[in-house]
Amino acid sequence: MSETQRPGVMAHMIPWYPDAERSFEVAKALLDAGVDFLEVQFPYSDPTADGPAIQKACSDALEGGFKVEAGFAFLDRVRAYRDVPIFLMSYAGIVFRKGVTEFVQRAADHGVSALIVPDLPPGSDEGLYEAATTRGLHAVPVLVVTARKSRIDAVAALKPAYLYAALRAGITGERTAIGSENLAFLDALSPIGAHIMAGFGVQSSEQIEALRGHVDSVVVGSAFVRAVDGCGSGSVYQAVYDLAADLTGHAH
Amino acid sequence: MSEPYHDYFGDFGGRYVAEVLRTPLDLLEAEFAAVLEDDGFRADFDRIAAQFIGRPTPLLFAENTTRALGGAQVYVKLEGLAHTGAHKINNAVGQVLLAKRMGKRRIIAETGAGQHGVATAAVCAKLGMPCRVYMGEVDIRRQKPNVFWMQMYGAEVVSVTSGSRTLKDAVNEALRDWAASFADTHYVIGSALGPSPYPDMVREFQSVVGRETERQIADAGIDVAALVACVGGGSNAIGFFAPWLERESPRLVGVEAGGTSDEVGAHAARMGGLGVPGIVQGYKSLFLLDDDGQVQPTHSISAGLDYPGIGPQLAALGQSGRVEFRRARDQEALAAVKHFASREGVVFALESAHGGAAALDIARELPSDKAVVVNMSGRGDKDLFIMAGELDRASWKEFLLSEGGRL
Repeated sequence: MSETQRPGVMAHMIPWYPDAERSFEVAKALLDAGVDFLEVQFPYSDPTADGPAIQKACSDALEGGFKVEAGFAFLDRVRAYRDVPIFLMSYAGIVFRKGVTEFVQRAADHGVSALIVPDLPPGSDEGLYEAATTRGLHAVPVLVVTARKSRIDAVAALKPAYLYAALRAGITGERTAIGSENLAFLDALSPIGAHIMAGFGVQSSEQIEALRGHVDSVVVGSAFVRAVDGCGSGSVYQAVYDLAADLTGHAH
Repeated sequence: MSEPYHDYFGDFGGRYVAEVLRTPLDLLEAEFAAVLEDDGFRADFDRIAAQFIGRPTPLLFAENTTRALGGAQVYVKLEGLAHTGAHKINNAVGQVLLAKRMGKRRIIAETGAGQHGVATAAVCAKLGMPCRVYMGEVDIRRQKPNVFWMQMYGAEVVSVTSGSRTLKDAVNEALRDWAASFADTHYVIGSALGPSPYPDMVREFQSVVGRETERQIADAGIDVAALVACVGGGSNAIGFFAPWLERESPRLVGVEAGGTSDEVGAHAARMGGLGVPGIVQGYKSLFLLDDDGQVQPTHSISAGLDYPGIGPQLAALGQSGRVEFRRARDQEALAAVKHFASREGVVFALESAHGGAAALDIARELPSDKAVVVNMSGRGDKDLFIMAGELDRASWKEFLLSEGGRL
């Protein structure tokens, strides 16, 4: 990765949050602000890896009537608006129930570039990685800053195209300090040759600056959910656009 | 069981967790394997079992019931006489001892009915560990007395307001805590479910119930045709059945919460066709899910049986046919509570009363030279408010109002 290049931004969003129509406004705002990747999380009833902001957003989306089929149609709509790589994130609960192969096929049919399913990790993936490779998609493994060397080696052996690096233990949402420990972890991942996406508690351009040269992209999730949550009756589009443009540097 | 560690049970089990939980589960698996070989650990467990839990718990011949039914002899394993009122404390002692051995300095737990939380809080008080218990807001309302006791034991009770605000959400919240805190914290799961090695570990710690029952059956010289236990996650059932899992007899009967009907949201029965294969909360088993895999709402009169999934080993044993599954409705459980209270002087917890109801039915079908043993996994003291509200509503309401006025 280039020392001088600002990391790309993968922005996370949840269809049907805050509701079906306004979640499309969120997607448009993110795309208009120039994010490099869109991570779309299909909401699940029991998102154990997520913090309070994303949990509540998922609950609201499900109460608002989100269904997996409608989620795939949403992806078509997003891609018709602008064609950026879409990373589809969900939990094993949904993917396994739909059938792993069938789910991956549906994702491929709807133009998804990559899949992130945190509770189907390599070794317990129910065929996710193979199904993705067969269909020209990337399954994205996660490594956490606390990972032991044996695990890093095992994931490296998969030669993943993308790798999600969690900057701290715990769950999504709470701000993460960028310091020598997580930077050393990121640098240790670089020989894997994957596109490194760093996430968990990234919410500001200062953090992105601190990560420059250590990662290819950053993942910003809960911060956008909070932006949606905080805009009240105001424009969801504007709230999300302003934050996204600040993070991508689009505003400058 | 011949081998204490399985990981998978037929199609079910496994360790489907986010990457962050891999290291703590690997370390836990290694420690679990180590304590099984450690005589010192077993001696500590046995000493606490005798002095603190109150083991062995009795096996009661339900003489009046047997006479009234005219079928098989009915025996009740009075596991509810264990300290803190249920079998839950066996596993809590085992896991907290294990946590201390691992050098952990803090304990977290989830609880549904509150029995696992109370047991864990009591053990932590005894063994000097700070304890935090996650409990769904709905369960806190249903089981207020248990909240009070947990706090008396010095535990911090955290109200969980996400999702359905019941046991499964308390599990989610405990997993979230652990994902950040595992360096110094052990998560004591209360049932024989979750990612491996928990299903194996909880069964091993609960198998003290089965081993004791096996000796008591031999001492009583009875010919047992069936062993019966209620099944929520399934920790009392799997511990009670443990010595017989690889034998062909007696019949092993698990009883799920039939609630009020088979409609979605009106019961918590995963076996017998209502549950589907799923991966939830780190393990593969049978769950109550919709077409998208979202976890469905459940209902039971007993807070301890309304979890939407069943432990993976019991799901596999159900599939193989070794364990038969039945359901008892809310009203059948209540009737069983009344039956055993008035005829035997024993008040079953509502959870255990599901097993009690099925045991009465099974005993009726069998000859008098056979015996049926039901595990009364908990006693009913904790259910005073629910039972009195159901069985004696008017005068109980009057009492509560007058107490409210007095306070």
